This record gives sequence, structure tokens and C-alpha cells, in this order.
Amino acid sequence: MNPGLEHYLVLSALIFSFGVFGLLTRRNLVAMLLCVELVLNSAALNFVAFHRFLFKGDPGGVVFPILIIAVAAAEAAVALAVIISLFRHRKNLDARAADTLSG
Amino acid sequence: MTLETFFFYLMAAFILFSAYFVVTARNLFRCAIGLAAVLIGIAGVYLLMDAQFLSAVQVAVYVGGVVVLVVFAVLMVSDVTQKEYLRSPFSRSVAAAIIAELLLMVVAGAALMQGFGASRPTPASAPVREIGHALLETGPGGFALPFEVISLVLVAALIGACTVAGGPEDRAREEGQ
Repeated sequence: MNPGLEHYLVLSALIFSFGVFGLLTRRNLVAMLLCVELVLNSAALNFVAFHRFLFKGDPGGVVFPILIIAVAAAEAAVALAVIISLFRHRKNLDARAADTLSG
Repeated sequence: MTLETFFFYLMAAFILFSAYFVVTARNLFRCAIGLAAVLIGIAGVYLLMDAQFLSAVQVAVYVGGVVVLVVFAVLMVSDVTQKEYLRSPFSRSVAAAIIAELLLMVVAGAALMQGFGASRPTPASAPVREIGHALLETGPGGFALPFEVISLVLVAALIGACTVAGGPEDRAREEGQ
């Protein structure tokens, strides 16, 4: 029996829950960013699974993950810039210390 | 057990092991390497689903771009030989595990109860030519507008990132001119 749509959906749900668990437990800003990337990837995996099994290869299911990857790249760039800027001022990466937006 | 099934479970085990590593490793550099492993595993799953183009994009942009950026940032902001000292208390970890578990049950349960099994006999995937046409087409079913918007978003985000990350010496130089 080849893996069907449910197999990919459950794998994606597992990756998603790992990402959420990391977001809730990690206090380091870089580690939290990495967990966000896990969540984004699980969403993209869902798109491709539906594209292949349910929508008979409609190209939208592949185009959307490309957009997700581009948004994730932009998000990583901005988040890392903010983290570097924060590190210059505060000298640590604790999410709980970053409670102000004033430079 | 067919070859596809074997590779699916191999990839799934690899991805989940690496994801666990990303979530729990104390050393930030190892977290980033774990994320690279997860992304490569997902690219392998895309290959299993006949999405070769997306697999190539995943490796080129995500592993080659985003993870390298993260590694550089980690090297800039922390001493990688030093273990991460910021840990959540144990009770918080347990609560987070319960929440993640409930979320998993809801999402995976919804996916399983939907009964997608009927869709199994006709798997198909778009060839690269079709993806290219879809990306640049303006009519119905075309993605020309999202394609342009995403490039604008990317440029704006990168310029913003440069501005935010610019240090005091950059600002002094700008003010001096």
C-alpha cells in the first residue's frame, strides 16, 4: 500500500505540533524563529499533498508553496535584522527581555 | 512494502528526528543544522510526490539561503560553544507538550476523519512547464499578480532588514555626509 493523502497530512500535522511546542517552550529568539520555519513548512507540505492527491495536479498547489518560501525568506531576513539590532542594545536574546519597541 | 512506502517512512522518521532536535537542542548552531536536515527531508518528500521543481526550490532557497542566513546570524549574536542558558521551567514544558498534543489530535483527527481515501487512485502532479505558465499568466488560474506582489514584498523586506540591522557606525556615516 503506497502512502496516501492521509499519510502526508499526518506527517505535516506532526511537524506543525513540533513547531508549536518549540514556540511555546523556547525563550531564545533565534530558536523561536526556527520553530516558525517548521510551522510554515508543514503548511507548504499540506498544499503539495492536496495538489497531488485531491486536485489532480492543479499548478496552484505548487505555486503557493513557492510564495510561502519567498515570504519565509523575507520573514527570516527581517527577524534576523531585528534580532541583531536587539542584541546590539541588550546583549542577550531572551524573548522576555524584549518587551519594548523603543531603540 | 513498496519502495515508495519505504522511502516515505524513512523520510518521515528522518524529518521528525531532526524536528525534535531543532526544538530541544541547547546549542543554537545545532538547531540550525537540524532545521537544514528537516528542510532537506521535506524536499525528499516533495520528490516522492513528483514535485521536482518545488523540491529544487526548497533546497536552493531554503537550505541554501535561509539556513545560511540563520547560521550567520547565530555566529554574530551568540557564542556557539556556550550552551543556551535560557530554559523554560519544567511545568511550562509539560503544559506546552499538552497543548501541542491536543493540536496534533485536532489537526490529524480532522484529516483522518474527512475520509480522503477515495482520492488515492489518481495521484498527479503538474509538470514544470505548467507551473511556469501558471506563474506568469494574468487570466483566470494565473498567478502573475501574486508573483509581482511577492517580489515587491521581498525587496521591501530586504531593504527594511538592511536599515534595521545597520549599526551605529552606519548611522554616523550617513549623518556625516
